[in-house]
Amino acid sequence: MNDDYLWDKTGEPDPQVQELEEILGTLRYQPRPLQIPENLPLPRRRNYFPYVAIAAGVLLAILAGGIWLSTRSRGNEPQRQAAVTPPAPVKDVTPSVPKTPERKDESREEVVAVHKHRPKVSTPVLSKREREEALMAKEQVMIALRLTTEKLSLVHKKTQNTNPANQIKNQHRVG
Amino acid sequence: MYATADMLLTSPAPAAPKQSHETAIEVVLVRAVLEGDRDGFARLYDLYAPLVHGILLARVPRAEVDDLVQDIFFHAFKKLHTLRESSSFGPWIAMIARNRAVDFHRRSRETVAINDELCGSNTQDSRATEILELIRNLPEAYRETLVLRLVEGMTGPEIAARTGLTAASVRVNLHRGMKLLREQLGFMEGL
Repeated sequence: MNDDYLWDKTGEPDPQVQELEEILGTLRYQPRPLQIPENLPLPRRRNYFPYVAIAAGVLLAILAGGIWLSTRSRGNEPQRQAAVTPPAPVKDVTPSVPKTPERKDESREEVVAVHKHRPKVSTPVLSKREREEALMAKEQVMIALRLTTEKLSLVHKKTQNTNPANQIKNQHRVG
Repeated sequence: MYATADMLLTSPAPAAPKQSHETAIEVVLVRAVLEGDRDGFARLYDLYAPLVHGILLARVPRAEVDDLVQDIFFHAFKKLHTLRESSSFGPWIAMIARNRAVDFHRRSRETVAINDELCGSNTQDSRATEILELIRNLPEAYRETLVLRLVEGMTGPEIAARTGLTAASVRVNLHRGMKLLREQLGFMEGL
């Protein structure tokens, strides 16, 4: 006997299977109407296309804006560079002038002036006395700087020597 | 003498055109429901209620099955938009039914055992309940296939098409499950 009857109800019927079908058939599904409330909203497949389209549009607008800005700024840069060609007198004057804090500000102004396309820069001429005073001031600043450096290095050494525990802690943290 | 599993696996499946036809119907119905046709779901219910009933009958007490069938289709109606492949409605609702049966046992362990004994009102019914109990004690892979075949009257190819299992595995499950059931029945009659 083969299993065709059990498989698809063809071929020679199997009496045991038939008997089981007859007995168990009493438990078969009895059709009942499906009870779904009328007010229940119908299932809808969510359509994400509008949201995706809006997001893509915004992204494209941002990209286009970025590209436009970058091309615009690039287009302006060469003109500025062409205009910025530094005038010869500026190069000659700046090394000879002693640098004091006040002069630094002036030199910054000069740079700004160069970017503002002002070719002519007024170069102040110092008298002998003024120059000596400037040199003195420079010396004082240099001494003050040296002193500060010494003090700083001293403080640094002290802090390193007095707190070996912290170093160990730090090593632990690193390790 | 019964066919071996190898013989069963090599046999052709004659109901292939019917399977594809059913799949086409279910695709059309699922799409119709998602487009707003409420009656389409009633037709899906008519097609798949025996499958869900059989799956539940293999797992939960008879008295609970009808209500659970309604619950499962109600749930499926609400969640139908989450179904990715319209052609997979059968396997999808079968999985919902299996999960619901597991949930049922988790929630009400103490009240399960006695219900089926109360159901047998006449001898035929009580005999059916006894055999169903034997089927429920078989390994899980066999019990569902046997209930769908012997209780719901579905053929092997229909079971394969609706559950999403391959025809070969359904055939093997039917063959081995039936063999075990015959042994159990012989043991019972011997008593």
